[in-house]
Amino acid sequence: MGQWTGYIGLILDGALVTIQLTLMGSILALAMAFVAGLARLSRFVAARVLATAYIEFFRGTSIFVQLFWAYFVLPFFGIALSPLQAGILALGLNVGAYGAEVVRGAVQSVGREQYEACIALNLNRWQSMYRVILPQALLVMLPTFGNNAIELLKATAVVSLISLSDMTFQAQVVRAQTGNTLVPFATILILYFAMASAISYGVRGLERRMARGLDGVRT
Amino acid sequence: MPSPMIEIDKVCKSFGEFQVLRDLTFTVAPGEKLALIGPSGSGKTTILRILMTLETINAGHIKVDGDHLWHKPANGNLVPADEAHLHLMRAKIGMVFQLFNLFPHMTVLRNVMLAPMLTKRTGRKDAQSRAMDLLDMVGMADKATSMPAQLSGCQKQRVAIARALALSPKIMLFDEVTSALDPELVEEVLNVMRKLAAETDMTMLLVTHEMGFAHDFADRVLFFDGGKIVEEGKPDEIFRHPKQERTQAFLRKIIAAGHRV
Repeated sequence: MGQWTGYIGLILDGALVTIQLTLMGSILALAMAFVAGLARLSRFVAARVLATAYIEFFRGTSIFVQLFWAYFVLPFFGIALSPLQAGILALGLNVGAYGAEVVRGAVQSVGREQYEACIALNLNRWQSMYRVILPQALLVMLPTFGNNAIELLKATAVVSLISLSDMTFQAQVVRAQTGNTLVPFATILILYFAMASAISYGVRGLERRMARGLDGVRT
Repeated sequence: MPSPMIEIDKVCKSFGEFQVLRDLTFTVAPGEKLALIGPSGSGKTTILRILMTLETINAGHIKVDGDHLWHKPANGNLVPADEAHLHLMRAKIGMVFQLFNLFPHMTVLRNVMLAPMLTKRTGRKDAQSRAMDLLDMVGMADKATSMPAQLSGCQKQRVAIARALALSPKIMLFDEVTSALDPELVEEVLNVMRKLAAETDMTMLLVTHEMGFAHDFADRVLFFDGGKIVEEGKPDEIFRHPKQERTQAFLRKIIAAGHRV
């Protein structure tokens, strides 16, 4: 049994990389989701075209290919990224494209009468969006954002293909060294599930907090 | 006679094929309480929405407090108003909506404080004390920390009135403010409006189906049909002795539907 503690330690090291990728990737995804989602609703044609191109491109191509571009092709353009940076970039841009559609949909779901109240109260566009529309839209976005974060967590496994030692990569190392498949892969199965549960739990808690006082308005 | 607070001059408005307003012309004096009545689709709500800049106009001119609303002068010509000009003009006008349109994610107090803090740079303390005064006036001070979802329709509407007043507009627009309320609670909102009329010299435009209230409240009544003013006059003239056949027919229908006049 003693030999396994070392191997489990390896997998836990990988778990840290996975958590790091998920956190940083989610932050980038969130930023991209808001930038591209709001740009799609912009008055300016250029912003709308740019945002649509980004969203369609990253939703329409494989994350696997995007990751290889970030790591192997960008250096030809003078941008050399570490495996971790390339992983965060590909994951963040990919999931951000899905998130952008969530932001757009949620903002559009806020009723016209709220915009009209903003005009009647003489708020400018930015004040209306920031103080009135987005706080209500955020509640609509949250559950789907939770889903997206879990998708991102699971997608982190692809980074093992650019030699980043995340949890899946480490499980393969352990398997190669011990010849045992069950133990390492059962371990990471449980760890992935635990991380995904933590995300769901956190998002649900956030939702409850934000929905307080809004009974009957959004469910 | 003082110069009018609102001048509407040959205004046209269409939604697609449907022409809502046809060459509409009328003026409103400062401090006047004007009731707009008429069948649905006659264009009365559209006038309020145009004055609040929620709808544009297709032709004509509107002046509010001496300045053009939808145009601004540039080198001796009139050009379409930009956002900055509309911002200046909107400060003179407040509107109360049929469905209240309160911000559901803010307390009652925040709803009333928000606009003065953002658009007039009023400090938090001043905004709060003014908001409390206004909530007191509409009888909602004890609900200041409630969320809108916890209020009845009539309470929401009183908050909405306080919110519109917080910017101290010269003109208040009331768009069927009692239509979505329980009949037995309508009086609470109407009382607030009576008080407002008695205590301030604001110009008020009122679109309503409450003929009894329009009769007591208004200085003048405009009867609309088909995007035009069919008849106008003192409440007594319109409600007791309507001259036009269409006005008579409309009032008969309203009475038959159980509304008091």
